[in-house]
Amino acid sequence: MATYDYVEKAIKITRREFLGVVGVGAAILWTGAYAATDLVQDRTKYIKLRAAGLYRDDAKAAARQSHNNAAVGEMYKKFAGKPLSPLAEELFHTRYVDRSKLGGMRS
Amino acid sequence: MSHDSDGPRVLKHPLSSRLFHWGLILGFLPAALTGFVLWLKPGSDGFVNLAMRIHIGAAAIFTLSAVLYTLLCLDRVVAFVRRIFSYDDRDVGWLLVGGGYPQKMFLGRKIPVPPMGKLNSGQKMMGVAMLFGGIVLTATGWILYAFIPLAPKAFIYWADQLHLVVGIVLGLSLFMHIFLGIYNWGEFKAMFGDGTQPLAEAEDHNPAWVAREIEPVQKAAGGRQLPA
Repeated sequence: MATYDYVEKAIKITRREFLGVVGVGAAILWTGAYAATDLVQDRTKYIKLRAAGLYRDDAKAAARQSHNNAAVGEMYKKFAGKPLSPLAEELFHTRYVDRSKLGGMRS
Repeated sequence: MSHDSDGPRVLKHPLSSRLFHWGLILGFLPAALTGFVLWLKPGSDGFVNLAMRIHIGAAAIFTLSAVLYTLLCLDRVVAFVRRIFSYDDRDVGWLLVGGGYPQKMFLGRKIPVPPMGKLNSGQKMMGVAMLFGGIVLTATGWILYAFIPLAPKAFIYWADQLHLVVGIVLGLSLFMHIFLGIYNWGEFKAMFGDGTQPLAEAEDHNPAWVAREIEPVQKAAGGRQLPA
């Protein structure tokens, strides 16, 4: 155990200081929690609206599969050759990115 | 550790403050170092990935330390906040001569400086930066950790920029803090030892603190020291 002869006088916290610290802390936490839940609610709402819009478009569409879609067929005929052709691969297919590597994505 | 030869001693850093300081060493220091790695990306993706994992773990230690210290040692936090926001003419005088450090380091002579309390003017300014910067870094850091898929892109962009700028400023301040902490060897021994310092040394560095803010320890019958 440390031995010493002098010590700092005890800090007296006034009621005003205590309420100030607790109030500011509570306000920060409440604002943060409100902002976070608001973001999550908004995100959920937009996902539901987007999904509903896609289903509605799908229900209205005459051709619901790409291989039965005349516009897609026309595009392959005039431009990309055939499905999985080198040009179609280059333009329409994405590459794998390992996003488990945190912070490694270079801009 | 024998204290007898140094004369009377004063407890400068109680156990709670020393433990919080260890929390900062294990939390803020690795977070700052890995923060520079994440900013400059000096190595492979695997190296940067490891830095990010350490950054997140260290941030958790830092956040937990700060929250626990605030909740369990509110009196120390209030004392710190009171000190870092107390300025008067002595601070102007102290800052004008750089606390006498340039003269001591480069010219090898000691000049008179205005008497300081427990924290000198430079430490108080660093304290203000650490208080607000620490809150900003913690808040923006956890926002970047958890809310990137949820929050608007512009908000995340500015949170990222703020995290970077405040992180660079505080990270560089940390190196200065480490240098001056080692330069003031008595202060280093107090913080990493039992928290005590010879009274004569404290009178030299913190005369206003010794004059106004400390008191003799109450001794129980038989000379046994009562816990502070």
